[in-house]
Parts: sequence; structure tokens; C-alpha cells
Amino acid sequence: MNKNQADDSSSSFSVAVTGSGGSGAVTTGRILLEAAAYSGFQGLMTRSAGPQIRGGESAAMVRFSADPVECMGDQYDLLVALDWLNIERFADEIPLSDKSLILCDPAAGEVPVLLRSNGAEIREVPFKVFASGLPEGRLNMVALGAAAVICGLELSAMEVGVRRVLASKGEQVVETALRALGLGYNHDQRPAKTMPLPGKQDNVWSITGNQACGVGALRGGVRFVAAYPITPASEILEWLAPRLEKLGGSLLQAEDELASINMIIGASFGGVPSLTATSGPGLSLMVEGLGLALVSETPVTVVNVMRGGPSTGIPTKSEQSDLNIALYGLHGDAPHLVFAPLSIRDCVFTTQWAVQLAEHLQTISLVLSDQSLGQSRAIVETPSALDLPWRRTIEASPDGDYRRYQITAENISAMTLPGTPGGMYTADGLEHNVRGTPSSMAVDHREQLNKRLRKLEDFDFGDEWAEIEGEGTQCIITWGSSAGVVKEVAWQFRQQGNAIRTIAIRLLAPLQRRALSQAIEGMNRILVVEQNHGGQLFQYLCAQDVLPMTASSLAQPGPLPLRPGRILRALDE
Amino acid sequence: MSSDPAVVIDTVAEFLVHALELEEASGDHYDELADSMEIHNNIQVAELFRKLAGFSRQHAKEVQQRTEGMRLPKLTPWDFKWKCPSSPESFCMEEASYLMTITQAMEIALFNEIRGRDFYIQVAEHTANEEVMKIANEMAEEEGWHVEMLREWQTSLREERPLEDLDPPNMPE
Amino acid sequence: MPVPALKAKDYKSDIKPVWCPGCGHFAVLSALTKAMAHLGLVKEKVAVVSGIGCSSRLPAYIDSYGFHGIHGRALAAASGLKAARPDLTVVVAGGDGDGFSIGGNHFLHACRRNMDMTYIVMDNEVYGMTKGQASPTTRPTWSNSKMTPHGTGIPCFNPAAIALAAGAGFIARGYSGQPSEMTRLLVEAIEYPGFAFVQVLSGCVTFRPDQRSWKEDVHPFINDVPTEDRIKAAQIIQADDGMATGVIYASQYPVWQPDNQKETELSLLEEEFDL
Repeated sequence: MNKNQADDSSSSFSVAVTGSGGSGAVTTGRILLEAAAYSGFQGLMTRSAGPQIRGGESAAMVRFSADPVECMGDQYDLLVALDWLNIERFADEIPLSDKSLILCDPAAGEVPVLLRSNGAEIREVPFKVFASGLPEGRLNMVALGAAAVICGLELSAMEVGVRRVLASKGEQVVETALRALGLGYNHDQRPAKTMPLPGKQDNVWSITGNQACGVGALRGGVRFVAAYPITPASEILEWLAPRLEKLGGSLLQAEDELASINMIIGASFGGVPSLTATSGPGLSLMVEGLGLALVSETPVTVVNVMRGGPSTGIPTKSEQSDLNIALYGLHGDAPHLVFAPLSIRDCVFTTQWAVQLAEHLQTISLVLSDQSLGQSRAIVETPSALDLPWRRTIEASPDGDYRRYQITAENISAMTLPGTPGGMYTADGLEHNVRGTPSSMAVDHREQLNKRLRKLEDFDFGDEWAEIEGEGTQCIITWGSSAGVVKEVAWQFRQQGNAIRTIAIRLLAPLQRRALSQAIEGMNRILVVEQNHGGQLFQYLCAQDVLPMTASSLAQPGPLPLRPGRILRALDE
Repeated sequence: MSSDPAVVIDTVAEFLVHALELEEASGDHYDELADSMEIHNNIQVAELFRKLAGFSRQHAKEVQQRTEGMRLPKLTPWDFKWKCPSSPESFCMEEASYLMTITQAMEIALFNEIRGRDFYIQVAEHTANEEVMKIANEMAEEEGWHVEMLREWQTSLREERPLEDLDPPNMPE
Repeated sequence: MPVPALKAKDYKSDIKPVWCPGCGHFAVLSALTKAMAHLGLVKEKVAVVSGIGCSSRLPAYIDSYGFHGIHGRALAAASGLKAARPDLTVVVAGGDGDGFSIGGNHFLHACRRNMDMTYIVMDNEVYGMTKGQASPTTRPTWSNSKMTPHGTGIPCFNPAAIALAAGAGFIARGYSGQPSEMTRLLVEAIEYPGFAFVQVLSGCVTFRPDQRSWKEDVHPFINDVPTEDRIKAAQIIQADDGMATGVIYASQYPVWQPDNQKETELSLLEEEFDL
């Protein structure tokens, strides 16, 4: 629970670095984040870019605080403009105010009117002049040095950040970068606002959401992955590829998503826990395969890193708009598991949980991450390694009368693996009887439908289905990545002496109706917050008949992130 | 006497391996046809094939008895010395149809039995081994009786009209 | 005590095929079980994977592990299985619609990925299970389908040529009316270290009774086959009428298999995130 969640005014610091593609905005942001981490802060870095493969314009947004940071704030304390190329594209994404500071190079030209008009203070540093005084000197490092002073970070911490991020480029590059950094750092020593430095912390990770999903997959036992590249999910697959091999597993690049889903089904049939990662368009192609896995009770997990949709939509921007397809995409009566990690750090736990529950319940798990989690980097407390008890039930020595789809008390039937004598069966997408033989008889269909429903409905998912915090008579319900901003709203609310309850749902299907009903009992104000246009969670909860008539929806589509102020206003409405 | 190694069988063991394969394959083949005719509710034809399967199994049993105590060579499926592309009594599969009449089924059966008989005759004609010749002749004679029996049976049948497909195929998937 | 060798029949399950009497697929089933017996395969170490269609019912009729998946995706499922379980003998079975139409992309990439498996396509130039529509291998003038009353009017798919172009290292064609030869082809295909493609002309008595004439149409290749020479193979395939049987091309290409000796622990890999 984030009692001391960062807020805008005092306990966190938000920096945006912008520039033309190639100017090093993202590298600058990354070093700043690492330096903040070395100083003992936790933090978050998101990035934004145009549609170009490279070039165009790009931005890195960094926010750090002594407490966990799970969303960007309402405005930025500092804008570091490496140049002014297409800066207007970021105007919506980087809100500034008269409390903000703009750091820029007079040689880059005048500060655009659009930025000057919000009253921000302007501090000019000759990035280019300093950089050109050094062989191979880069102006972004000069800017970084100047920014570090404004952020209140020490030069030693900056040096650690530079070494961590640039080490792979060689000592020469590091040395030059450090000299440029020093020039910027020593030019103007006035800090913007001082935050006490917490001091170096142990047990801290620097990780992106996509990497965190990869870690969760491996912790859950995944040893086979099929991969088809797609933005913004590819990094999960790229991170896993070499690491799976080192752990005795493998990754197979597929020809398309139709193949990747069927590849993991084949591998899982062979007994190896399997996963793939994709985004909306890929998930759409996988839906038929998911039905096959579900009916043949072959466990698989799909991490869907959501982006703006439908169709090709906005591939590089985040949106929580795939809830409907995840819940309802399959034809037929097809109960299955749908999860959504609540933060970058939570991607580790939620993915592990999803994999192991798919294995234990012999069904499909869909994990709804999104671009804002997947491609953002966080400095977080190390997620502790959990030994979850859920495993696939394997029949290693079947007797002569083995029945693959035997009805049992828990409706989970032991599975034989190829290579096991006496356990041979044919898995099938056709409805079947307890032996797996295709059947169109009503009695078999009903029996197997019941089995596949009851094994999920009767399972005790424990308290992990949601994170519930706070008391009072007002309540915000949210899911997935929006949990971050909702928690910040709650913190601000409580700072003002008001009580509020937040419910961030991690397990969306099967919906834990009874627990959710209990959690909202006595609430006279309920707001359902999510980042999509149609209010997909709100509609779902209405359909499931858990919300009172007075509940309302705040659904804001991508590409802009939900900001705390917007939610606070909605609560007042 | 032919010297074509593709058809010459000069040991009893090799001959019996051929006979056994011929009769077992024939039994399997007729049973398979009977099974699928049953699925398609062509019961009369199914019964005919079942009966023929029984004959073949009986023959196979007799051949099996002759092999007792013998070391039989192991032949790969494509090393059998048939002159046709498969075991002689298992041919003409594509002539089967779920709408076939008993008369048509009889024609297939007759074709196969004649080929079986001819195989044995051919072995007897080409072999240099007297024992092989003796057994092959015996078996050719037995197959000859089958052929005669089928012919008599055939003439006793009334001419039928081809079956109509009153319930055409389903679309199961 | 040595275990008595299994006979072909021992590799058949006790489920009766749904195929029509006279269907060529019976001969494929029989040839496959004979090939398995000849190779002495251990039943439970074999997995037969298929998609959708008459021929894709095959796995249930073989007494081994089986996966009857969805239309067109058998090769993908089989590839995942083989990557995860290289110890298994993987046989993939399907029809011309399943393999060359809806599954066409997987066919191309399975050929070039060259994983060690055997792909049997029972080609009857028709969609049987949906009642007789034209498939990719149907001749352009065949007009007996209600869906294409004037024929498809488009040239048919040449499976062997496409397999060769896509990088398959073993290409053969058999005929259901020649079960002994087909057994030999299947034995060679299963033994081949890599992706072995076997097209079997397997007539549909119900929707393509005209295919009864295939027994007069099939013939051996006039050239020396198999060849190891890709260019010769291309010439043979292009000159052929599609009815010649035998192994056409047998060459060696690198086989895709995971390179995954376990060498570390997850906890050590996770250290990369430590600050």
C-alpha cells in the first residue's frame, strides 16, 4: 500500500527531455532515472515518439520520489529541450505551469510561444557551445549535467548513471560523456527545488514492464515461447529469447500469430509450460487458437500488451481497450482467465500467477499489460521470488483405463504427456467425452462445459484478485495500469483529510463477484476509471450486476495518459 | 519357368510369409470395408465383406499352422513379390462406395479372389522348389473354390438397381 | 525378455474411421502403420498432429499421442511440440485444403524451418468434409461444386514445386492405390533428418468419383529420382504431370532445433536488474 504516494507539489520531481530523434533524449532520461535510483529514489520513465522507425522527435518523461512512483503527475517540474523540433507534438503530453522550469540552449532558437505562454521560468545553458569544445562531445550530456543540478542530484550519482547506461559503448564514450556532464553541471548551480536524498537503497530493480512480464513468465516455469514481433510487445520476446536458452528452454519465431498461438499449444501438449506475447491485432488472430487450447485443456498464457485500437490503431501509445476481446472474444461458451498487472513491478507477480494458474487449471490465461507499463522503466523494490503452489497435474503412470477428461471433484483431470506408456490420447478441438473421443452428444457437451466452467468458478483465487485500499463511502474501481494514477488520486484525497476506497482489479475473469460486492458495500459514490472510450470495465460490471445504479464511469481513451487531476474532477462531478 | 527374380519364390519360409501377408491383409481389408459399410448403413454389403474377411482369417490361420517351428524371413512391406501395387487380395479399394450394391461388391470380391488365386498359380509355375510348388498348388486350388463359390453366388443374385443417395453426405466439421 | 515386435495392426487404435468406403485415406492409415511397425517406433514416443478435414481425423486412428487441432494450423502446433520435445517422432497429417489453402503460410515456413518431422498431405483435390468444394489443387475446369459452377478458373497449386522453392529437403509423391510404395516413401520420410514432405494422391470416392481413373494415370518418374540436385529437381517437377510417384528430391539442409543446454539459474539471470 502506497500510503506515501508521490504527489505533484513536494515529494516527487518530474522531468521531460525532448529532442529530435537521434539527439539522445531517451538516453538522457534513462541516465537521469538511474542516477535518481542511485540516490535512493524510486522512479518511473515513460517515453514517447512519433511513428518513425528512427528520427522524427522523441521524449523521455522521468518522475522520481522517495516513495513508489506508478504514474506521471499532472504537470512537469522541468522540461529539458535539447532542441525545438516539432515540440508542439508533445504539448499535450508534457503539461507545464508557472511553477515549471524550461532548460534550453539559446543556440537552438527562441523558446516557442506555445511553451512561453504558460509562464514557466526559462534557464538557458549553451549546450552546443560546451559540447563542441570536446572531441565527440554530445550536447545531451551537457544538458543532463545542467538538469541534474536542477533536480538536486549529486554529480557522483550522475557519474554512476552515465557508467551504467553507456558502459557498453566503451570507456572513450563514457569519459567524453562525463566531461560534457561536468561542464553542464558546473555552469549554473541553482537547484529548482530541494528534495532530501534518501541515500542508496538495497533490493532495488531497474526494469521495464515488458522485462517484468518476462521475469514473471520464467518464474512461473515458462520454458517455451513462440514469438511474432509486434509493437509494443516485442521486448518481452526479445528479452526472453536468449534467457530461455540459458535455462534449457527455447523460443521459436513464428511466421504469424496464427502460428505462434498454435506453436505454444503444441509445446504445452508436450508438457512444457508455454507463453506468447502480442498486442491487439495479434490477439485478434490468436482467438481461434485460444479456443482450441481451452477446449483441449492445454494450458497456455498470452501476454497482450495493449495499444490504441481497433485495427492498427495507435501502435506506439497505450490504451486499455482490449478488455472486451479478452473477456468475450472466443466463440462458444468459453470461460477462461483474464488478468491485468497493476504496475510495472506487479507485471512480475501477475504474469507468474497467470502462468501457474493456467497450468494448474489447464486453461488459458490472458494477461492484459499495456504500452504504458510495457515500455516504461521503473525503479522499484525488488519483487521477491514467490514459490506459488500451482502446477499442472500430471499422470505419470496411468492405469489401463486412463481418461484424459475424467470428471473429478475439482474438475481438473490429470494429464499424461507424450512419452508416457498407457496414457495415449488425442487432444481435440472437437467436443469430446471423458476419454477425448469426439462426441456431439448433449450429455458429453454439457458434462465438459460444466467441467470447464466449474474448475474456474469453484477455485479459490484468494485475496490477490484485487488490491483494495482505504475506507469511507466513496470508491474508485479500476483495473490494470490505471491503478497507478488511481492510487495517486487516493493519496491526494487523503492528504486533504478525505476518506476514499480504491479497488484495483487484477483478476478480471472469472470476476470475483461476491468479493467485489462486499468491497463496495455501503459506498454511496462509485467511480469506475479506465483508459478506453467505451467504458469496457464499467459495462462488464454492469452486465455482471455488481454495481448500484448510482455508479458512474470515467473512461478516457488513449493516447494521453490519465492524469490525477482529471480523476479528482470526476469525483467532484 | 521364369527366371525373373521379382516373382520367383524358392523357399517354403519365404512363400509362407507371402501367403500369410496376403491372407491377413485381405482379412483386414474386408473388415475395414465391412466396418465402413456398417457406418454407412449398407448392411447387406457389410455382411458380404464380413463373410469374406472370415474366409481370409481362416486361411491365415491355416498358413500360420504351416509355419509353426519355422524361422520366417522378415520382409519389408515393399519387398513382397507381388506383381500388383499391393497385396493381391486387397486391391480395388477405390471401387468401393457406400452406395454400392451387393452385385458390385461381389465383383470386387471376385476380382480380388481371382488375383489371390493367380498369385498362388504364378508362384507354383515359377518356383524351383517342389515343396513350395506343392503348397502353392494346394492354396491355388482352395482359392479356386472360393472363386467358383462367388461365381455361383453371383448368378443366384437378382439384378438390382443402384442405390439412391436418399441421405447425402453430412458436414461433420 | 525381448518385447515381441509390434505389427502394423498394433499401431491402429480401436476407433473406427469415419471415412467413406473406398476412401484413399484408408490406404494411408495402413501404410503409415506399416511404416511405424517397420521402423519399430515406440508408440508413446510418437505424436500425430493434424488440422481439420477428412484426412485430419487420422490421429485418432493411430495408437499414439495425437493432437487434432484447428483448420490449417497442424504444422504450427507440430513445430511447437517438436521444439519443446525433440525426443518425439512427430508426424503431421492433413489434406490439400488444410495444408495448401488455409494453412499455406505455415506450409511455406515449415519447409524452410526444416524441423525434423514428416508431413503427409492426403491430396484429393477437394474439400470433402464440407461437401465437395474446389481446393487449391483442383483443376481450374472442374465445375462440379455449387460454389464454383464454372470451375475455379485459376491454375492449381503445385505442392512439390512450392515445397522445393520454400526450402524443403525431402519431397515425395505417393498414391493410395500403391500402398506398398507409399509405405516405403513414409519410412524414408520418417527416417529423413529434417522436414519431409509426402504428397499422397488419395482419391475421394464420394465427391470425386472421377479420381478412380487415377490408377491408370499414375506412373513412375521418367527421370532418375530421387535427385540431390535442386535445379534438376525443379526441372523434374515442372516437367511432370503431377501424377508421377516416388521420392523426387532428397538433400540435406541444416535442421532447426533449439540450442539450449541449461547453463544457469533464473536467480542469476535476474541480477541484471539489480542497482
